[in-house]
Amino acid sequence: MAAALVVAAATAAAVCARTLWLGAHRRLDDRRGGGSLAAMLAALPEFLTASVLAVVVGVHLGWLPALGWYGPQWMVLPALALGLPAGALLGRMLDDLLPGAFAEPWALAAAARGIPGRATARQAVRRCIPGLLPNLGLFVVGLTGGAVTVEQIFDIPGLGRTTLQAAIAQDLPVLQAGTLALVLLAAVTGALARLAARLLIGPALRDGALHSLHRPKPPVPRRTPLLYGTLLLAVVALGLTRDPLALDTGARLRSPSWAHPLGTDALGRDLLARIGHGAFTTLALAVTISAAALLAGLLLGLLPRFSGPLVDTVNAIPPVLAGLLVAGVAGSGAATPALAVAAVAWVPLAAHTTALLEQERATTHITATKGLGADNTYLLRRELLPAVLPPVARHALLRLPGVALALTALGFLGLGAQPPDPEWGLLLAENQPYAERAPWAVLAPATALALLGALAVTAAGGVRWPRSPFADGARQPKPAVAATVGETG
Amino acid sequence: MRPPRRRRVVAGLLLAPVLTGCFASNGETSDGKSADGSRLRVALAFPPAENFSPYGADATLLSRLGVTEGLTKLDANGVAAPALAESWTRENDRNWLFTLREATFQDGTDVTPATVAAALTEATEAEPVTAALSGIELTAKAKDDRQVRVTTEDPDPALPLRLTSPGLAILSAKAYGGKRVNPVGTATGPFEVTKVTGTTAATLDRFDGYWGGRAQASGIDAKFIADGSARTNALRTDQVDMAEAVPVSQAPTLDKGARRETATTRTTSLLLNTRTGAFKDPKLRAAAREAVDGSVLAKDVYEGYADAGVGIFGPAVTWAAGKRVEPTGRARAADADGTSITIATYDNRPELPEVAQVLQQQLQKAGFEVKLEVREYSRLESDALAGKFDAIVGARNSLLDTGDPVSIMASDFTCDGSYNLALLCDKKVDQAVAAAAKESDTVKRQQAAMNAEAAILGTDATVPLVHQKIITGVADSVQGVILDPYERTLVGTGTRR
Repeated sequence: MAAALVVAAATAAAVCARTLWLGAHRRLDDRRGGGSLAAMLAALPEFLTASVLAVVVGVHLGWLPALGWYGPQWMVLPALALGLPAGALLGRMLDDLLPGAFAEPWALAAAARGIPGRATARQAVRRCIPGLLPNLGLFVVGLTGGAVTVEQIFDIPGLGRTTLQAAIAQDLPVLQAGTLALVLLAAVTGALARLAARLLIGPALRDGALHSLHRPKPPVPRRTPLLYGTLLLAVVALGLTRDPLALDTGARLRSPSWAHPLGTDALGRDLLARIGHGAFTTLALAVTISAAALLAGLLLGLLPRFSGPLVDTVNAIPPVLAGLLVAGVAGSGAATPALAVAAVAWVPLAAHTTALLEQERATTHITATKGLGADNTYLLRRELLPAVLPPVARHALLRLPGVALALTALGFLGLGAQPPDPEWGLLLAENQPYAERAPWAVLAPATALALLGALAVTAAGGVRWPRSPFADGARQPKPAVAATVGETG
Repeated sequence: MRPPRRRRVVAGLLLAPVLTGCFASNGETSDGKSADGSRLRVALAFPPAENFSPYGADATLLSRLGVTEGLTKLDANGVAAPALAESWTRENDRNWLFTLREATFQDGTDVTPATVAAALTEATEAEPVTAALSGIELTAKAKDDRQVRVTTEDPDPALPLRLTSPGLAILSAKAYGGKRVNPVGTATGPFEVTKVTGTTAATLDRFDGYWGGRAQASGIDAKFIADGSARTNALRTDQVDMAEAVPVSQAPTLDKGARRETATTRTTSLLLNTRTGAFKDPKLRAAAREAVDGSVLAKDVYEGYADAGVGIFGPAVTWAAGKRVEPTGRARAADADGTSITIATYDNRPELPEVAQVLQQQLQKAGFEVKLEVREYSRLESDALAGKFDAIVGARNSLLDTGDPVSIMASDFTCDGSYNLALLCDKKVDQAVAAAAKESDTVKRQQAAMNAEAAILGTDATVPLVHQKIITGVADSVQGVILDPYERTLVGTGTRR
């Protein structure tokens, strides 16, 4: 677990290294693009990374043990598999906040005084971490309870797997013990995260002496989403012209060719067709659930006293276990998988909202607005929500591929997508056993998912259409000055 | 099945930090090779689910590792052969006299008629009753100092076959002392369990007092790795010497020499719900049977590691081929005409969802509208037995529980059957099975069993798809692995590396 955290931290650091460097040298205005690689990395399913690592590093290269759990060197591969996507996610969130920190007056003052960029960067990170801490906490718990597939691939006797097996075998004592342990862990981690946040920015929170972490200006609309979008659309459009269900067991696991541009799966079905047709099922459901989760996360996040304990408890439950619970309550209907995933998907968003809100409430401009006689509704509508919504929405987009994968994970309970539905998560799961013999069969859907992630994140900043490259520029408000006072862009 | 609850909660709690933070202990207890024979490292597919209780699914684990034995065992031809019992005679319809050989339990006590009788009596009182005894009333009493008399309520000509079941293993008196039956150090096989690490590993040492001679390996380090790819990877990275049940998808990643395939008595079949839904109509069942082609499955889904379905008993049941009877009274196929059906299957055996998808296509071509339902097995069984699906694709080892071909047909295809997934209740079938159950002569019984098989196939309640071959991964250095078509043994006295 600690190792996975280290990997996650390293990944996160790598993700925001560029912003940090630019920020430290006060050249953030040059910043463009970026972020899509992180989004792609965050969209990579853990089990895919895990099986690729096990086969390539463990079996073929023989550098590290491919399975088991007996000592430090056994930790490396699972830690990588778990830490890479999580680190990319956290890094992307941090990267989202950093420009705001660098635009704060202290940074300007530090630069004026000639304080080295390194120190400024350190302080900027310190400034942003409290907003992420709850999510870091969630990640720690998720790592323990939800890493079932990775535990399976590396044969690690983890708590998540034990609990899940107990739930399936209806072994109540073990299930109770496991869930209790997870809830306790969640509570402790939650408390620690809160304590750490208090230590980091406590006094500032109390005195309402923070500045808003708004970006100095809205993110520059970019062309990259067009690129990703076109690519994705092209694949989907091409796929739609083909039959996703046509089986030809004789053409099993064919490598890409003219007849099958993305190769075939274990039953000889055309992968391009399956990806194309699966796009709708996957996108429709995942987007709906993400939107619902965003709404629920925001609403509950606005009520930290009510949602705090709820966040800690719900987070302790791995999604698959939640699926079992929902199925137990609501029966295995068509809406059950969506309900189950939505029941856990709001948690990180609510935690994020609460953390940002807490900081935002303590900013000087809120105090000023209050002083001018604004009531609570006005504050919420005009100041707080506009400040909190964009980063949380970007966070929700970043988690979109994760939602799609969580839906698939429910498949084995008989919930979620059922074969031969070409849902993307299901494609990944079906083809995973063949990852070594037919890498394209998993790479193709994984790339599609990664593209989706990158598209979602880059498009959040707006799209710059190639025809009128400067059309949006005029609408941008004047940067630095306005931002330091904290007006929303 | 009756766990001491409080202790397990506490154990679970105590275990939690261990599982989250620390490492499992490495199963290696002794230093690899010694003059006394080296230890074998084995990766098994199914982790113990019931604390190694001999009455449930874990019984096979114990017999596979050479820990437990019964009075009799199955030989290669599917006939009962001597094990702890040297010989036996049938006194009359209901009484059998078993003569024990001189043997000792792993705790040092002798195998006596009294302990054997006590062990069998314990098995009859187990809750739920072990599969081999379902529907059977049995009493065992010591006769003199070498013999045990087993009496059945109803005549049971297959009793010696029944006693081959891993669920009827003989353990010493010490095993039955606690709240649950404990096979650790109380069995009679060539290896004894010395340590169990939860559901992840078990350590076994050679039992020097084994009546059949000393085993060549000095012990076994068994790991339970449920994930097929992980199990195969364990063999490929030389972490184990043998890996059981390599999935078809992983087989090509092993060297040719490491892949040992055995035809097993496990048959994958399409079971049609004869009680409710579309397949209540025998004509539609016939249509489904005609639409399905098992040879495609054997060739492509199982990549040749299977034979196309011929009956309930496949080629691994060696005597069956010569005695097979053509099914009679089959209905004439009707036009499916868009009848919509649901086929359920489980993903614990990774090939089954693929099989179901191929079947879906085959049936769609014949005019059915097919919906699939894939779940984890434990979430499927109760709905399946309640008749919620029109058809089920399942893999069943036809001789695993009792070794008796008749009893599996009785449990799976008769009105009173306890595992009747096809929900079949057919007078002719019941009569044929009952007739076979009465036969005591081996040859006659086998013939009667094949007649019953024909009667069952005649109803089209089951469509045999393929007879699976099991792939065992064996490292080059290992010799004497037992490749058992009944999947009951894996390691024997001659297995070594």
